Amino acid sequence: MPLVNNKVGDDCTVGTDKVLVDGKALVDSLIKVVACYRHLASCVGGCTDSLQLRDELRQTREKAQKLSVSICQHLTSHLRDKSLPEEQRKEMELLWVAFSSSLELLHIDMCKVFNMGDIFSPANTAALVQTGLQGGGSEVAARALSLPDLNEAQTPTPADGLESQERNTMEKEISQIDHMIDDMEMKVNVLRWMVEPHGPQYADPLSSTDSASLALLSVDEEQPGHQPLCQRSRIFVLLLLFAVVLLAATLSVCVVFFS
Amino acid sequence: MTIRNTLRDHGQRYRPRMACLKKAEKVLLEMQDPKTGVKSQPQRLVITTIPHAITGKEEARNFGSMLVALGYIYPLQDHKRLVIKPDASLYRFQTPYFWPTQQWPVEDTDYAIYLAKRNIRKKGILELHEQEQYNRLHKWMNHKWDFIVMQAKEQYRAAKERKKPDRVVFDCQERAYWVVHRPPVRTHTHTHTHTHTHTHTHTHTHTHTQIMIFTQQSIMRPRVKSSVSIGALVKYCATYNSHDPFLSKCLPSNPWLTDDVTYWTLNMPNVEIPTKMRVERWTFSFGELLSDPRGRDDFRLFLKKEFSGENLAFWEGCEDLKWGTAATMREKAEQIYKAFLARGAPRWINIDGKTMEVTVSGLKHPHRYVLDAAQTHIYMLMKKDSYGRYMKSPVFKDTMKKAICPEEHKFSDSQLEQNAKNRRPSLSPIILRQQEQEQRAKMAASAPVDITQVMSKLSKQGKEVPPRPPPKK
Repeated sequence: MPLVNNKVGDDCTVGTDKVLVDGKALVDSLIKVVACYRHLASCVGGCTDSLQLRDELRQTREKAQKLSVSICQHLTSHLRDKSLPEEQRKEMELLWVAFSSSLELLHIDMCKVFNMGDIFSPANTAALVQTGLQGGGSEVAARALSLPDLNEAQTPTPADGLESQERNTMEKEISQIDHMIDDMEMKVNVLRWMVEPHGPQYADPLSSTDSASLALLSVDEEQPGHQPLCQRSRIFVLLLLFAVVLLAATLSVCVVFFS
Repeated sequence: MTIRNTLRDHGQRYRPRMACLKKAEKVLLEMQDPKTGVKSQPQRLVITTIPHAITGKEEARNFGSMLVALGYIYPLQDHKRLVIKPDASLYRFQTPYFWPTQQWPVEDTDYAIYLAKRNIRKKGILELHEQEQYNRLHKWMNHKWDFIVMQAKEQYRAAKERKKPDRVVFDCQERAYWVVHRPPVRTHTHTHTHTHTHTHTHTHTHTHTQIMIFTQQSIMRPRVKSSVSIGALVKYCATYNSHDPFLSKCLPSNPWLTDDVTYWTLNMPNVEIPTKMRVERWTFSFGELLSDPRGRDDFRLFLKKEFSGENLAFWEGCEDLKWGTAATMREKAEQIYKAFLARGAPRWINIDGKTMEVTVSGLKHPHRYVLDAAQTHIYMLMKKDSYGRYMKSPVFKDTMKKAICPEEHKFSDSQLEQNAKNRRPSLSPIILRQQEQEQRAKMAASAPVDITQVMSKLSKQGKEVPPRPPPKK
């Protein structure tokens, strides 16, 4: 009996390991897409708002939608399976919590973009808020869609009928996500207070941090009464002076030497 | 866990703020117009220049400070103080994604992600209040923490895809958003008093102090155990069950059902002979006795026999004052004082020294409720003393013996129809009130006899003869 059980158990664990790995990959990609969607959404209404941005938003949204549907099916079917061993269930529940939180973030962002689309139309550029942005979100969208480079040639045709159709599809998608969230809560009972996270409390600082950008940002960090800008430029000027003095010294040494 | 952005209870409270925000948004959109709007200049940082920075001008400072406090504009230097300074410091418009509109509640999850991102960028060195918030959120949203850390990392990586100036701008925008919505405790009052004085709308501190006052007052309120209060309710229902014409049989017959008004005529306020049910109700409580005019008459008769009618007269005078017209209040208060409270008054009532002091000092500036304390004292006196004696008195026993118990009507269908046809309106309330006033005048005319008056009469009559107390029945 135990032998037979072990065999079955091994097969099961192999199967569920793959299931877990698959699920984790899907959820990770959804989190990435949601993060990119948020970046793109923060550009709406600003001076870089354009039809291209809206198109990128749409594409990102569609990708997120596809991912969430597949994750929903995957996780629901496995969590409703009563024969799932305990550790696998815990992992699944963690993925479930991550998935539902991402869905909530996506839902909020979609609602915000929908409402802002009402107020700001990309056609009327004079009314856009001058937020100080210069570049678009093409690189972010490329990251979201996992494409090496977005095809810049495809500029969408600004047809009015298309805009209203776009809004209708957006409304439908928002309600679809609503229903998905509701369904999830109905079908699977995950006790959130029982879920324990694995990860660290603090996110690890990434090794490949751009020191130049850090310097730029620390410039903005203000201590009252301090003038970091002036200090920076002062150091630059001092360095320049030092280099000039050094050059003058070497030249004079050469002159003395050769004369 | 709220899934949708439903603001069912909060909508009511935030509505005034919503109107202000809508106006602010409109003005902000107008400010963007390149011709008529605010002039902007590029901000010079070390490596790049970032366009669209504006400076504060004198006349627009107040309005600008309001916009900053709300979160529509953020300062580029000194980002923690949300005011417009009258120097050349620069400000920038906030992107609409971060505008403070009420439909989008500020989520703790977002704040946790922001703090995690900040932690990554600053390599673990967060400010004190940020650290505290981070730890608190870690405790409360522990189950989501993996997600939060992952989302923060992904957002950080996505931000790196953008150009450097855009990255800086986005970070400034996010930081400004969180300074408005999660201000550090030190500057909390500063920003909120600014918001209060500049926007004149209900802010969070205003409603919070209201809530605090309300909860403190409700703690101080006297509380009754629900078992006790439910017991009292049950007792009340049991006592009054048989007296309710709708819950039990009504003798002779319920006028609403049979259209026969005998019940009402038998229970008129000033009827000579009351019904048995009515008399029984007087035994339930002193309040019942006093509120029924016939019962009050009976009680008055009893007190007359006891020569202590001044208490009831005083109580009635106080009621008159409370419910009377404002024009007559001063006169009534004076009359009552002269008749009952003054030293050597003809119908002096016996209240304790403190209440007398309070009442007399209150009478200098009389208002409707100036005699409340004295009235309550006299009421309790009557309730504890006279009421008990009344219940045992021959007056009451006599009334109870004489009380009638009408026979139940048994109408046939044709009689019911006849009754319905003969329906007549009752006496007009104006006539009733006139009758009431006539009766009151009659009562006032017939000299009320109290012990003080009797004593004074006797003392006047027989100065030589030693006064002896009149025989009490």
